[in-house]
Amino acid sequence: MSQVLAIENLSLSIAGARVVDGVSLSVAAGEVMAIVGESGCGKSLTAAAVMRLLPPAVRQEAGSIRLAGVDIARLRESEVRGLRGRRMSMIFQEPQAALDPLSTVGTHIAQSLRQPLHRVRAEVLRMLDEVGISDPARRIDQHPFELSGGMCQRVMIASALIGRPELLLADEPTTALDVTIQAQILDLLRKLARERGTAIVLITHDMGVVADIADRVAVMYAGRIAETGPVDALFAAPRHPYTALLLASIPRLTDVPKSVLAVIPGRVPGAAEFGPGCRFAGRCPLTEPRCEAEPPPLAPIGDGRATACWRWEQMV
Amino acid sequence: MNVLSLRDLRVHFPGAGNPVRAVDGVSFDIVAGETLGLVGESGCGKSTLANAVVGLVAPTGGSVLVRGEEIVGADRTQLRAMRAHVQMVFQDPVTSLNPRMRVGDAVGEPLLVRGIARGQDLRRRVGELLEEVGLRPEHAMRFPHQFSGGQRQRVVIARALALRPELLVCDEPVSALDVSVRAQILNLLVALQARLGMASLFVSHDLAVVRHVCDRVAVMYLGQLAELAPSHALYSTPRHPYTQALLSAVPEPDPVAQRSRARVMLTGEIPSPANPPPGCRFHTRCPIAQAICRSDIPVWREVGESQVACHFA
Repeated sequence: MSQVLAIENLSLSIAGARVVDGVSLSVAAGEVMAIVGESGCGKSLTAAAVMRLLPPAVRQEAGSIRLAGVDIARLRESEVRGLRGRRMSMIFQEPQAALDPLSTVGTHIAQSLRQPLHRVRAEVLRMLDEVGISDPARRIDQHPFELSGGMCQRVMIASALIGRPELLLADEPTTALDVTIQAQILDLLRKLARERGTAIVLITHDMGVVADIADRVAVMYAGRIAETGPVDALFAAPRHPYTALLLASIPRLTDVPKSVLAVIPGRVPGAAEFGPGCRFAGRCPLTEPRCEAEPPPLAPIGDGRATACWRWEQMV
Repeated sequence: MNVLSLRDLRVHFPGAGNPVRAVDGVSFDIVAGETLGLVGESGCGKSTLANAVVGLVAPTGGSVLVRGEEIVGADRTQLRAMRAHVQMVFQDPVTSLNPRMRVGDAVGEPLLVRGIARGQDLRRRVGELLEEVGLRPEHAMRFPHQFSGGQRQRVVIARALALRPELLVCDEPVSALDVSVRAQILNLLVALQARLGMASLFVSHDLAVVRHVCDRVAVMYLGQLAELAPSHALYSTPRHPYTQALLSAVPEPDPVAQRSRARVMLTGEIPSPANPPPGCRFHTRCPIAQAICRSDIPVWREVGESQVACHFA
């Protein structure tokens, strides 16, 4: 399969601190790649870097971001603007906040095509239907405040996809939604990947969402990828202590009620507290002196998997 | 003994047209030491119900008995006396704490204003409360911003425990926390319940979290209860189609199991609580709705170990 997006060794810094450090990942056409991690792990910044929408305080220190072979970081702003909406699109957590309250649904979606609505009305109606909006002919002239959160998210997906981009970046697209609506939106994203061949990068903190929709996953911790691989294998047998603890700390419908959940002691280090070694070393049950001193590289361990742990073999 | 009894509780808010019927006839009891989970989607009225129980919103009808005493229509003195026995933990620990107040003062305030402890005695008890929630007595001198989100929620819990309430109302207490921190707070809440024997009303949208901490679970939809059952019964044999749909929509963090699960996919959106559908309120989204569901309100009845409001449960 051809790679739609290939990020190589991406490093981003804020005031000198490497908040994203040496991240590499790729997504193929029709594939859903999840980036999962806790707040501040760098997952959203990684996506923003792909869209070239980084906040001004963030600097790209190193690395390349190739969209179908072209390095986005080397393009001029005007060239990147040409890619947004046509080759790559992004959807966000708060659909109401991402839609212009004064634009109708139709006007908003037509903007993605850089066309006035009357010229592309039929196309917009088809797209609204494709993302599962009932009664598109009525909805197209409504404003965001007349729609529920789930419907706003469908509108945002419609405007992201109407330009037929190869790549969709979805940053916590269901976090603000109820579970029954979340299930509908995840189904829709899965269908779009399969039927349109859209490559999807899904950013989430929810391991359940990853298990539901992703083909592959990258687990991020404190700016680095801890572990990556196909979801089935990674969930069945994590090869990084952080992944294992994260999975064990989630309450499940199959747990013994009131049992003690696994806990990761301490907290995520702030950007100013990063040591020279593995950033998880201070909280890791497997830490040895080498972990504190030397950062483990993200090294392949077979079957499409890779882990950034010196001691992963202890977990086998 | 019932720590809390709700009978036909109603909380309606005046709206532009029809009043919003946020809570529309809810009855249940919580006995001493029991944890009751209250689950539902946004707008179902679960938080309004929690606020009514602690006296933060005034019910428009029905009855709320706290340790047998009516709080609907109670005056300020009676409400103040009631609040010594009922304390609340909110979702966001950042906005729950005064940023200019040292956490020791925040935790000790309930004891001070009620004249229970002061001076040296107050400081000692604040230290004990902080230790009870996994913090250290010397943390009393710090300000909220010097703590992480999880630690701040510990402070909020310590403050709620200061008066040794018989009922702790928790409204989404772990929803704002990261996964690894959430586990720490859930472990703390379960341990505190066991140690102190207090009852809890645990409001959450997260069914896995509720199952983890609750003895019984009430499922709320559009201001009313759809189902109420012991935790094990609700999760193993959900009776109401809404409960079944909610459970099947929770993505399990296990890709293989997740792919093989039977799904009850709901279509459509939650109707407005200002204009709830006639008959069964769930019929507009229900996969098994019949003609009777559109016309007749289902009777609250017992099926097995569960109580359920469905014509076909």
